[in-house]
Amino acid sequence: MKRSTPILLIGLAASLGAAEVPRFEADVLPVLYRHCFSCHSEKQAKPKGGLRFDSAASLVDAAVITPGKPDESELLQRVSLPHTDEDVMPPLKGGAQPLSEAERALLRAWIADGAKLDGWVKFQHREAPLGEPGAPVARTAVPVVARHVDALIDRHHTAKGTTLNAPASDEVFLRRVYLDVAGRIPSLEESTRFLADTREDRRARLIDALLAGEGYVSHTYNWKADQLRLNPRALAGGQPAWLYDDWVKDTIRQGLPQDGMVRQLITAKGYLWENGAAGFYLRDLGMPLDHASNLSRIFLGTRMECAQCHDHPLEPVTQKDFFQMAAFTAGVSNLSSPGGYSNDNVTQWPEIKARLARMDADKALQDGVSRAISPLKRLTKDTEKPLTFPATYIYDKSVQGHPVAPRTLFGDEAPVIDGDRRRAFAEWITSPRNPRFAKNAANRLWKRVMGAGLIEPVDSLTALPHPEHRELLEFLTSALIGFRFDERAFLAVLLNTRLYQSEAVRERPEPGSAFGLHGPLLRRLSAEQIWDSHLVLLVPDLDERKSAVRHEGSLLNPARLRRLTTMNADEIIARSRDEMAYRVRRREHTLRLAEQKKELAAAQARGNAAEVQRVQAGHARENENFFSPELQALEMGDAQPAPETDPRWQSLPRNFLRASEIPLPLPLGHFLRQFGQSDRREIDAFNRDPNTTHALALMNGELAARVLAPDSLLRRQLASADGHRDRMTALIYRALLVRSPSDGERSTIASLTATSLTPVEDMIWALLNSPEFLFQR
Amino acid sequence: MKSIVTDLSRRAFVERFVKTFLGVSLLPGLSALRGAGAPARAPAKSIIFLYLRGGLSHIDTFDPKPGRPEMGGVNAIGTTADGVQVSEWFPQMARQMHHVSLVRSMTSTQGIHELGTYSAHTSHFMTPTIRHPSLGSWAAKLLGSQNRFLPGNVLINGSPQHPGSGYFPAHLAPLPIVDPGAGLQNSVLPAAVSEADFNRRAALARAIGSHFVQQTPHRDAAAYLKVHQEAAALMKSEDLKVFDITREDAKTQAAYGAHTFGKGCLLARRLVEAGVRFIEVEDDQNWDTHNDQIKSMRLMTPSVDQTMAALLADLHQRGLLASTLVVMATEFGRTPQISTVTAGRGHHPGVFTWWLAGGGVKGGYVHGQSDAIGEHVAENPVTMPDLNATVAMALGMDIGHIEHSPSGRPFTVADKGQPVTALFA
Repeated sequence: MKRSTPILLIGLAASLGAAEVPRFEADVLPVLYRHCFSCHSEKQAKPKGGLRFDSAASLVDAAVITPGKPDESELLQRVSLPHTDEDVMPPLKGGAQPLSEAERALLRAWIADGAKLDGWVKFQHREAPLGEPGAPVARTAVPVVARHVDALIDRHHTAKGTTLNAPASDEVFLRRVYLDVAGRIPSLEESTRFLADTREDRRARLIDALLAGEGYVSHTYNWKADQLRLNPRALAGGQPAWLYDDWVKDTIRQGLPQDGMVRQLITAKGYLWENGAAGFYLRDLGMPLDHASNLSRIFLGTRMECAQCHDHPLEPVTQKDFFQMAAFTAGVSNLSSPGGYSNDNVTQWPEIKARLARMDADKALQDGVSRAISPLKRLTKDTEKPLTFPATYIYDKSVQGHPVAPRTLFGDEAPVIDGDRRRAFAEWITSPRNPRFAKNAANRLWKRVMGAGLIEPVDSLTALPHPEHRELLEFLTSALIGFRFDERAFLAVLLNTRLYQSEAVRERPEPGSAFGLHGPLLRRLSAEQIWDSHLVLLVPDLDERKSAVRHEGSLLNPARLRRLTTMNADEIIARSRDEMAYRVRRREHTLRLAEQKKELAAAQARGNAAEVQRVQAGHARENENFFSPELQALEMGDAQPAPETDPRWQSLPRNFLRASEIPLPLPLGHFLRQFGQSDRREIDAFNRDPNTTHALALMNGELAARVLAPDSLLRRQLASADGHRDRMTALIYRALLVRSPSDGERSTIASLTATSLTPVEDMIWALLNSPEFLFQR
Repeated sequence: MKSIVTDLSRRAFVERFVKTFLGVSLLPGLSALRGAGAPARAPAKSIIFLYLRGGLSHIDTFDPKPGRPEMGGVNAIGTTADGVQVSEWFPQMARQMHHVSLVRSMTSTQGIHELGTYSAHTSHFMTPTIRHPSLGSWAAKLLGSQNRFLPGNVLINGSPQHPGSGYFPAHLAPLPIVDPGAGLQNSVLPAAVSEADFNRRAALARAIGSHFVQQTPHRDAAAYLKVHQEAAALMKSEDLKVFDITREDAKTQAAYGAHTFGKGCLLARRLVEAGVRFIEVEDDQNWDTHNDQIKSMRLMTPSVDQTMAALLADLHQRGLLASTLVVMATEFGRTPQISTVTAGRGHHPGVFTWWLAGGGVKGGYVHGQSDAIGEHVAENPVTMPDLNATVAMALGMDIGHIEHSPSGRPFTVADKGQPVTALFA
């Protein structure tokens, strides 16, 4: 059904109230900002037509408004032209959006009322910094802070005449808080324990326990990995790329505050095996501008990528603004400058070079040395190379090719720190005075547990004050600063609010509508949550089971690389010779393996089982000793999956791990990919749209079959209820949906499985395939 | 006990299935949905949209600059189209160029993968306020499917950030085939489960699920109940065999190639035969060649050359090329200059190449030109919306047809794109 514009007009009139006249700063300025300032403000080197609308004086000078006479005002005339008219404003071909009917009506009403500016002087493009932070707030203050949030939300409802949803039951809270904090449903044991707890503060206790657990690390990792685009394959090749992933996990586990984490990422230097944070730069090899865009998006909630190539068509953010921000990090080796991969990064290189010359080394040895030191050549460091204005910079041709001086876009100027641009940038970004850093972090954490940000999209922070929930977001921002960016303390506040512990909002909010503060939003689980929740039914102590990949004996074993870093020139040359010998032996082995294959085939063709066994055993012996202990000690192999030795998990496939323990990229057709896990090429590139293939996977896929199998963890847990139909039903409901079946459901089940030989399987299958399993309520 | 599915008569089921999958009623003549602006000939019945993600270098592929240093030593070769050369890395495509219209004057302003990909698929710039439907969802919306069971819109090896159905209902999103070699994943019952078991369990799941959906107005909750029904129906459908490329003879499979893109294109041809309207196949290689351009291209081009040429030859030989439009797209080209640092090429939206073949477009034709080094458009610029308008018109869509977003904003299939009518034969 088409929705016509009159509905919007009615909506607008209702929201303004019949007698209300639009006010300049609250209502009109945002329209000018979004549709006009990208061409008509002091930010442009040459504002279009010489017109500027961003100060009272320039707006009067522009003479596009005739107070009291909307129809004679050029501003309103031009924005009201049909989209096909050449003179329509804003010009649409650059990607600008036409004004909506509601926005035009607003301008009309404002002009008709005399186009009053109410004392406004000019728009501050450069957002002011926040004040100095108050005293630190202790973790013990969580309950007090949560009550304050409750009070702000109450005030909101009193003013709007709305209310919170009804309080959530223990069961609803239990499933929700496990999904939000640990990223999975609770196990049957965990549910039973909590639901038997009668203490007053059982919810606060559970929140604390979950935030301290390994499940929190796993789920938070997925959340951050989507923002940081963690995908080992995307890093520079020939490097122990997983160490960046591990570094992120460790910072979460250790509770490194968000500001510290960002500081370490931005200032990262050295080798990955010395500092996993260096992956932040190795991730974006050769892409300094994309790196800067993504950085500003995830840490400052600000999208600037449009301004990489030209002034932003929708906001007064110029290409120069962007380049000034990017100039802080663009000189890092591996991003844009040469020198990221070079012999010069190998401290032993001058001496190695001299020795090779002295011994008149042949090409083979030179190549051998080059290969041996290859991982050491890739180093993350600062270089002197400045970012320059591109040859396509059209706004001031005189600066094309000239260096860009770094400058921040808003808040304070960057501090001066011994000429260290990155430290200066990191200090500015993470400063409690930065007007967007803490706000962005608070808004994103809010979204993580409530389902939508107080500002949406979360990366749409601008210099324009956000009208909705301003006081609440300001308070949350100051709380996060008070907790000194301790994300666990901040989450504990949100999880202890009455809002979080209310019934979910089960409708999908209209796009563009403000968060109603009635309750958290119902939403589909992420791909990772769905996978992990299935595994809860299969793997005991799931959160403790870790990646199977072992790097001992491999070329990229960090211990091996550390040893390489500290060897002297002679040792490296000797080592290179050994490696060359290893490669000769490996070629022999490759040939021998091919022969072994033929020998085995011949034995099999003769049909003598004993002989086949003898041949196989002989090959195994031969292969085990093919490389001498000296050659084996060189660690020249690949990473290997280690066999499972823990008795709890020995009967399970090795890849039945939390999603966070399975390195990307995943093979095509993996359950996680099917359900829309991000491939982490772009920020938050996950997809949660329903799809027929999801249903097929849940009905016929491997996970479902494993859960239904008689020896699955779930089936073993249900054994105590064998023969007791009602108890069995109740346990299955608790294990999968964390609630009790209704009477209606009990009778439906009874009648539909009355003649079934497999009623338990039927029930489990049906609940796994009910939409309810896939949603968080 | 009877299952929900078998309770329905076949006719009722078909209608229901098609409606839920496609959002349109099947039975009225589809021609009624087609608009005026279309060319006088019969529109193409299907489209295979080949997407080479990462930003395919135009200079190293279909817009070579023979003898120029920008080529990095790579040669151009002649083709079956008079006066049309392609890079030496496309010897097999060179023999198909008499079917192909090259558009060497594609241009865009979107130099970031995500944004370029979005524009290529939706004809719109990505903005934070709305997600636009992709071309395939428009085709499903405006044209429906020609097959009674299969969806009108299939995406083979698509990436998770594909814009999908945008603001259109979720059922217009492409059916993803994640591994074309495995067909439609999980579409057969596990050995231990009988059909009676399945029907009983599906009925139980539906009864329990309905209860949840009644309390939950969120559109995705109801959609999940619906996709379960659809999946159950699909499992019983004869058309499932369409997804099994191992039914092709060994020679055909070998011609397309054993890699993902080859399998995907072979599956696409089978889907065309089954009447699927819009099939997108993404190459699984990443064409974002920032490093070592020449080496990377040498590694990556053989498989796409083989597959794209095999697809055109196969469609032609089966008499399907006239009614099937094949389009090759990418988000942008790459800089003419090879970086002295990384030996690769950077993003270059200023000019790049897409091509079309079959479906009523000219063969052996080149539209537009880039300049001497492939840096700027020299003649007849074509934007992504223009090209998508051309595709939409070739398929018989009304490019002036307006669909409103949930907030009431009017959109057309290719935004303000103007069809390149010179491409039509």
